[in-house]
Amino acid sequence: MTTQNIADGVRFCSVKTDKFKTCRVNISLAMPLDKSASARAILPFMFSRRCAKYPDFTSLNRVLDGLYGASVSAGILKRGEAQILSFSMTAIDDRFALDGDKVAFECAQLLAEMIFDPLTDGKSFPEDIIEQEKRLLVETIENEQNDKRRYAMLRCEQLMFADEAYGINRLGSVDEVKALTPADVYSAWRDVLEKATVQITMASSMDPQPVAELIKDKFSEIERNPVEIKTQFVSGLPKPEYVCETMPLKQGKLVMGFRTGMRSEDDMMPAMRVAVDIFGGGTYSKLFSVVREKMSLCYYCSAALFNSKGIVMVQSGIEDANEEKAKNEIINQLRLTAEGEFSDEDYSSSIKSLTDTILGNSDTPEEITAWYASQILRGELKTPEAYAEEIRNVNRSEVVGAAKTIMLDTIFMLKSSGEAAE
Amino acid sequence: MMNIKEVRNELLNEKYYDIDHPSGLKILVMPKENYSSTYAIFATKYGSIDTMIQMSDGSFKEIPEGTAHFLEHKLFESEDLDAFERFAKTGASANAYTSFERTGYLFSCSANFKKNLEILLDFVQNPYFTQATVEKEQGIIGQEIDMYKDAPDWEVMFNCLRTMYHNLPVRIDIAGTQESIAQITAKTLYGCYDNFYNLHNMVLAVAGNADIDEIIEVADKVLKPVEGKMAQRKVIDEPEEVIDSYIEEKLSVATPQFMFGFKESWDTPERTTKEEISMEILLDMISGQSSELYKRLFDGKLINNSFGFEYFTGFGYSCVLFAGESNDPKKVAEEIVGEIGKFRETGFDEMAFERTKKKLYGRMIMGMNDIEGLANNMAVSYFAGEDVFTDFEIFKTVTLDDVNDIFKKTLDENRSVLSVINPN
Repeated sequence: MTTQNIADGVRFCSVKTDKFKTCRVNISLAMPLDKSASARAILPFMFSRRCAKYPDFTSLNRVLDGLYGASVSAGILKRGEAQILSFSMTAIDDRFALDGDKVAFECAQLLAEMIFDPLTDGKSFPEDIIEQEKRLLVETIENEQNDKRRYAMLRCEQLMFADEAYGINRLGSVDEVKALTPADVYSAWRDVLEKATVQITMASSMDPQPVAELIKDKFSEIERNPVEIKTQFVSGLPKPEYVCETMPLKQGKLVMGFRTGMRSEDDMMPAMRVAVDIFGGGTYSKLFSVVREKMSLCYYCSAALFNSKGIVMVQSGIEDANEEKAKNEIINQLRLTAEGEFSDEDYSSSIKSLTDTILGNSDTPEEITAWYASQILRGELKTPEAYAEEIRNVNRSEVVGAAKTIMLDTIFMLKSSGEAAE
Repeated sequence: MMNIKEVRNELLNEKYYDIDHPSGLKILVMPKENYSSTYAIFATKYGSIDTMIQMSDGSFKEIPEGTAHFLEHKLFESEDLDAFERFAKTGASANAYTSFERTGYLFSCSANFKKNLEILLDFVQNPYFTQATVEKEQGIIGQEIDMYKDAPDWEVMFNCLRTMYHNLPVRIDIAGTQESIAQITAKTLYGCYDNFYNLHNMVLAVAGNADIDEIIEVADKVLKPVEGKMAQRKVIDEPEEVIDSYIEEKLSVATPQFMFGFKESWDTPERTTKEEISMEILLDMISGQSSELYKRLFDGKLINNSFGFEYFTGFGYSCVLFAGESNDPKKVAEEIVGEIGKFRETGFDEMAFERTKKKLYGRMIMGMNDIEGLANNMAVSYFAGEDVFTDFEIFKTVTLDDVNDIFKKTLDENRSVLSVINPN
């Protein structure tokens, strides 16, 4: 893996390998999560459907078909209190093109054009296209509630971070999206090009330099002024908040939000990763082995650490009647973890499982690019091998020390009314 | 006698080993250079559609719906350490799944491969069920069934299949129902295990950082040779007509969800690779992202980016499924029917065919990166009596005439079902 800075706040990271039959490029642009989230959320989806050269969806897709089914995807991620606009392209490696075409570079060019040369009417984005994109984004936000597990998680985040930027949905809100004008979205685009922290990550057998030069050229026309992105780390509530809602469902969803003592994304890491894994990660974890297997309360019950915000979220799907039983046991299992009540075997299972998974991260181009792209806000990129080594060096007392700082903050229960249609 | 065959494909620059192990198990191994992890799947040709067991006199006996899935959950248990506890010692990620047509037990790892393979082959060969553990699992699976009842994408599909098929077991939920799983006992599980989990009805497929000598060494040590054969599936009578053309349910969704399915009927129970590839091309030309129909639906605010299609096929069943989110599913269905009618008159143009084929060629190349997909494809191909590379060779021979031929046999409006989930 090599990196180079190609413009102010723009890092180019390349993993050169011929073990894949494809070329993958990801371009990630990070901005502070704030009230412009909705306007920025329009951009990746709109850009992945058209650009100045191929002004409509159908013509662009026909070109991609002709480039051996190259695929372009767009997304919005939240990492700490950053909103990340993510564009990815996968094309077959030139070795497999039937007519000697330079497919991969042409696709990288196309990806760059989508971001830097979008379809405009000279001064702004065309009104009809903005209207279409607004409709699609509104539907995406509204349809997030169709997946109840995801919906309960989003609701818990909203409640828990009501006074912090982290409470903002990565896609913005329905009302804000509906109020957007083409000028709002256009200025959000110019803002991103000027102020975002950017990382390009490439995994391919081909020489990365032409792609680096191509994007460097694009940025050379922009006056760069990157803004700092900071995430607030907050302690847990002395008295946890409890909120309950009801929906006509078959199964209730319980989400418990915890704060940790972390003061930055690297603080207490990776011991915190191991602590949360022993608490509610793999099948050897306390939540899986006790709440699911021993008590037979649910199909899933697990804990996830979001170190970019220093929080832990526990999720479970349960019958309403079991709510108290499940909550008490989850809290009890956390207490046991913090008291060091786990076997040496559980501890070593966790270390082995985490390192095994991390090292497996280099076997698909999607995983490799995602691994490095997720480190966009870090000063230096860490390889999977280096991170696995750090995990192996975590000792028991560090795990206990980290677990002791995990405090319950917010509980959200989505109750089933028991009236779901058959 | 062990028979080891090396199968190569020059264009893909890949090879795999096809091994007939003396125990009766087929072993397929695709080593991938410079990969750090390995994916292995041990699968049996036994899925949710297998609702009957063939008795020694050739007759068939019914078993409760959801038994294959139940058995999958229970096989992880044993008298002493369960399989998850054993994998926890090695660090592998282990899992299992049950589909309509098979059950697979799998792991991926970047260390301790031999030990992991030994655990996998061992635990699947050693069932241990008691009435107490069966009852405990009824609670967990009961919650899993309820979870799916709240999932609109799952409900929209099963409502569609239930309304399309009168008799075929593809219409039943993979996990069964609360009522059907309540009938399952330890005895049911042993009966199904003995019938479907004999090595002749199974396959081991491995891809990634793999060495065949190591695999054979573990297989020799752990596999217990058995007499047996592949379990036979009963061909079930199914009328050509659907039960009803429309089905609706209310769930808490924001935008209505739909699935629009077209039932097919054929003289043979399974579709050939050529037929499946021809269908993929056909459906992409009609409704893929480069099609006129897609643009019209998109610009007309009738669909969003969740719109897609699938050629859904397995033993005894095949149908075309269009799915998505729309404020007017009936209008979408009308547009699809209209477009099919238009193509019946005009036919397809050669350029669109070539473009679509080029796209699918690229997608097949892209599929060769992923060891999970490769191992699963090897297993699926084996059960279908084919191999992973022939797909690629057959693909090259498909012509526009093949696509036009199959178009005549599918997408009949009179055998369609529109399934809708409306907001409540």
